[in-house]
Amino acid sequence: MIEYIVKRDGRKEAFDDYKIYDAMHSAYIASGSRDKKLTRWVVNRVVETLESRCGDSLPTVEMTQDVVEESLIKAGYVHTAKAYILYRDKRTHERERQSALMKTIHDITFQDAKDNDLKRENANINSDSSMGMMLKFGSETSKSFFLNSIAREDVSRAHRDGYIPIHDMDFAAIGTTTCTQIPIDKLFTRGFSTGNGYLREPQSINTAAALTAIIIQSNQNEQHGGQSIPLFDYYLAPYVARSYAKRICEVASILKPETDAAGLRKKLRAIYDEKGTLLGEKDSVFALLEELSIDKKTAEYIVGRAAALIKKDTYQAMEGLIHNLNTLSSRAGAQVPFSSINFGTDTTEEGRMVTENLLLATEAGMGYGETPIFPVSIFKVKSGINLNEGDPNHDLFRLACRCSAKRLFPNFSFIDAPFNLSFYKEGMPETEVGYMGCRTRVLADVNGDQVTPGRGNLSFTSINLPRLAIEADGDIDRFYESLDSYMELVVRQLLDRFVFQCKKRMKNFPFMIGQATWNHAEELVADDTLESVLKHGTLSIGFIGLAEALVALIGRHHGESAEAQALGLEIVRRMRAFCDAKTKEYSLNFTLLATPAEGLSGRFIRIDKKRFGEIKGVTDRDYYTNSFHVPVYYQISPFKKIDTEAPYHELTNAGHISYVEVDGDPLQNLEAFEAIIRHMAKKGIGYGSINHPVDRDPVCGYVGIINDVCPRCGRKEGEPLSPEKYAELKEIYHLK
Amino acid sequence: MTEAAEKEKYGKGVGFERIRRITGYLVGSLEKFNDAKRKEESERVKHIDLNKDSDENIGNYR
Repeated sequence: MIEYIVKRDGRKEAFDDYKIYDAMHSAYIASGSRDKKLTRWVVNRVVETLESRCGDSLPTVEMTQDVVEESLIKAGYVHTAKAYILYRDKRTHERERQSALMKTIHDITFQDAKDNDLKRENANINSDSSMGMMLKFGSETSKSFFLNSIAREDVSRAHRDGYIPIHDMDFAAIGTTTCTQIPIDKLFTRGFSTGNGYLREPQSINTAAALTAIIIQSNQNEQHGGQSIPLFDYYLAPYVARSYAKRICEVASILKPETDAAGLRKKLRAIYDEKGTLLGEKDSVFALLEELSIDKKTAEYIVGRAAALIKKDTYQAMEGLIHNLNTLSSRAGAQVPFSSINFGTDTTEEGRMVTENLLLATEAGMGYGETPIFPVSIFKVKSGINLNEGDPNHDLFRLACRCSAKRLFPNFSFIDAPFNLSFYKEGMPETEVGYMGCRTRVLADVNGDQVTPGRGNLSFTSINLPRLAIEADGDIDRFYESLDSYMELVVRQLLDRFVFQCKKRMKNFPFMIGQATWNHAEELVADDTLESVLKHGTLSIGFIGLAEALVALIGRHHGESAEAQALGLEIVRRMRAFCDAKTKEYSLNFTLLATPAEGLSGRFIRIDKKRFGEIKGVTDRDYYTNSFHVPVYYQISPFKKIDTEAPYHELTNAGHISYVEVDGDPLQNLEAFEAIIRHMAKKGIGYGSINHPVDRDPVCGYVGIINDVCPRCGRKEGEPLSPEKYAELKEIYHLK
Repeated sequence: MTEAAEKEKYGKGVGFERIRRITGYLVGSLEKFNDAKRKEESERVKHIDLNKDSDENIGNYR
């Protein structure tokens, strides 16, 4: 007589033969009841067999299941046995998945980020913080749920096997979208609510800058990517004018207390509304002051003083914005918002003041001279506006170069690149290209206006090109065949995700939809689903490792051979044509992305190394090369690198970025720095940047290149200064 | 201030921060990178040295 059974986890439990009957009965039902009626008799055979096999020891669950299978087959219940085996197999898989998930959660709990690669998946999320860990728990569980319960089987398999990385998969079951180019002008003029109370239109540059940060933060909490302001200088300019008007009235009231300040302000505002600038309309201002019988000399003093004050106001507002964007929490405190700011083309005095002071505040750095990590600032380059000597904003372009040479930001975007210029309409800044800091670009719209603001990316999934190339074994046709079939699979997955996203409602996104940071969201009412808004977003197919794929196919990458470059362009052109065809077919914006793949490149090469072994130039590193980049380890001149990568910018309409790595201190050679940026402009790069070492000694606050010894205080890494030396430095610099 | 904090203020055990750009974003220190990206960063070659032999190089493109 069996009294106990040993469970999988080793615990003993009372043996209950009814459970055996239960499992067999479920299998009987699942088989479509095609066998004769199941009876108690079979259960008794199982128990007897167990008794005879076990002797004095206890039966285990595994053993019992084996005996059940055997007994069913012996007794002629073939269909039931088959169903039972399938059921058992499925349960085993589920257990394995669950235990893999539990292992992941165990590691998140007991390992620090420095020992756990997963916790450093995204460098700007602190997964050691309490809420960061909570997010990581959610993220890993959600990924597992999506793959096992939502995604189609072939999609899950392709993701797991490393063919198609589905990005931000932890948010797939939540239905969020990636990012937004936020038209803050609309939110400013309408006023907006973040949930508890309504914020009216700002009346000063200071408030406008503060509200910008709040808008970015609020929208960030409802998406899984980042937030960008596409026309920062244009959007903030009116509030510079308002602050300036305020300053004029203030100074005038001090000098001439009987001045009707409110009336003056109204008239000043009318000038701005009519002319589009107040700072640039000095004569009209003087005329107004004369009407108030303020003498010429006093008037000059008022205008001069107000001009000096507004400069300071604007600087402080920009400084405050940068500080806010590096300290505001989003997503339960695990990270600051991923914020980007595009600017540089507004030529009004007010717009120029915004750009200039944003750059100056970036250059100055944070409280102890630290380099601001956010916002990703992006200077929009355009000939006739800022690129060339004599252009109205040329001084700002030069300042941008100086700032970037010190702080790595701004990055540079190029409106004159032919694929950006074709959208550009003079006098319509919304047709200027705007980039998300990471590289995402949204401009064409098959369903509406070709504009940047009020739209964003919905989701993207990449293709692991080196894998397809290795499998094709040098056969280009075979490579294209599998590329096409995986692109089809990605399209299906993006569409599934799109349908899921569209089923959401305003209540799911009270800010993004409720306060309409997306175009057309203001036309929705509470219970509407989101298709009419989201159809303006982009669905992107990305790719990683073009360089390794080319080596796998023809033995060379595009940085080292013209033949490889031709093939590389052919491959990427094919991908773009595929996206364009799908855009037509579905009337949705399918676009091609040069994937950044920060968190993925390592995972994919590990899988491929295991599967195919170490292939020279393909799987022999620890990462796959970013999108279409020339491999980082390949020695090439900066100009040749730009020439090689530029043609891919045109093809990757969902976004792209190219880097040039320079050594030495670019501040000592700004002319060369500028020459590189100009070369980018000339060659049709859409978005680019120059990387150079920016080091900082947190003790003395020195920012620049630090090799082994800090040039300012002379200490080596980890070594202390003497208290005397510290005190001496503290006299000169702003130290902790 | 504790003794340890005092020493840290003068720099004992304090490393240099090395800010790098990756995927368009800056990251405040290399420790935050995942293993693959850390390796990628360490293998990046410099395309040009702006303080040294670059003038004739750049000159061609002016």
